[in-house]
Amino acid sequence: MSSQTHHDRLDQATARRLAKLREMPVDTSRLDRLIESRIPPPHAVPDVVFRLRPLRAAAAAVALLAIVGAMIWSLSGGAAQASPQVLAQFHEELVSGKIPAIRVDSIAQANQALAEQWKQAVQIPEIPSEHVIFCCMRQIQDKRVACVLLRGMGDVPVTMAVAKARDMKMSGGEIRAYKGLLFHIYSSGRLNMAMTERDGRWICLISQLPVENLMEIAGEIRF
Amino acid sequence: MPLDPAQATQRFYELIWPLRSEVLRLAKILCGNDADAEDLAQETLLKAFAGIEGFQTGSNARAWLMQILRNARIDRIRSDNRQPQALSLEQADLETAAEQHSEDIDAWAEPEQVMNAFSDQQIIDALQDLPEEIRLTLLLVDVAQLDHGDAAKILQVPLGTIKSRTHRGRAMLRQALLPLAMEMKLVK
Repeated sequence: MSSQTHHDRLDQATARRLAKLREMPVDTSRLDRLIESRIPPPHAVPDVVFRLRPLRAAAAAVALLAIVGAMIWSLSGGAAQASPQVLAQFHEELVSGKIPAIRVDSIAQANQALAEQWKQAVQIPEIPSEHVIFCCMRQIQDKRVACVLLRGMGDVPVTMAVAKARDMKMSGGEIRAYKGLLFHIYSSGRLNMAMTERDGRWICLISQLPVENLMEIAGEIRF
Repeated sequence: MPLDPAQATQRFYELIWPLRSEVLRLAKILCGNDADAEDLAQETLLKAFAGIEGFQTGSNARAWLMQILRNARIDRIRSDNRQPQALSLEQADLETAAEQHSEDIDAWAEPEQVMNAFSDQQIIDALQDLPEEIRLTLLLVDVAQLDHGDAAKILQVPLGTIKSRTHRGRAMLRQALLPLAMEMKLVK
């Protein structure tokens, strides 16, 4: 390989690594409080559902979205703790389209797309009752977390975050049982989160839907 | 027609509020510490609100915000009377030209694998060694993924300067990471 070609490869690898900094999670809770105290939000903030209504017309066909596998990036072996603020940010950024995401037509296609990029991608489970729209790969500390955006009940968006159970720890929050499953319940602003572990996978559902709806969706997941 | 306060607030929360995470993220990478980053992000968002009437609907909100962030950063450095710790641009011109000639590219035999081995914080720490304007160029082009034209407008430099600073900045970043890469036995 010529040195110019190798230099180009180096340059591109550096650029790609810098691009991944876009996925670095940040906690905006303090910034949110500071700004909202100076600029009180209007009472009628447009609901995110309105943004998705055109998609309902455009995406009549059932499309399930890709599964994003979680990858272990660090050799530390320590599990990561996902804060409600970080999870809320994942949801907002996916809903608003601010981060790169993959659209696929089936879970099988999504699994394939992910496996091509991440050899150890975790299989995302099926949720028969939900339409999947987008997916992306995020990171919590040094652990990879797959996020899929679902069109939930009444077209309210739901983000499902999936990772290997050994990569994530659950602590705090209210503990609730539903149909034999144990959930850790959190909230951040207007968003609710229901976190659970099943079949070696850590799963968290994030949405404006009531917690009961999130637990019901989690109960429909097929492993 | 000027906006009334309610309209200005509505516009801010519709157009700018969803971008606050990106503003904070870039501020963290630029400043290298959380305290300065939060102050800079707050200032950027408040200035965006103050100038929301001047923002044209349909134009690039991210680029507009990055311009405000950059100006706020300059103001803060001037008011703190701080001298940048990192290498000056002039010194970088001389050193980087030599570095690019002699960069041991063979040491980076598997560039993708090596670069992905660094954590985000290690990359951010290494970026602090770069001159401010080069660091900002990499943020705008490689992290925020703005096109070169928008980056040139924000930094008020010719398009060619953006391209050359991008390449130089990437080489300088690798130089800054090299000792760590050797310590981690990622390179020869």
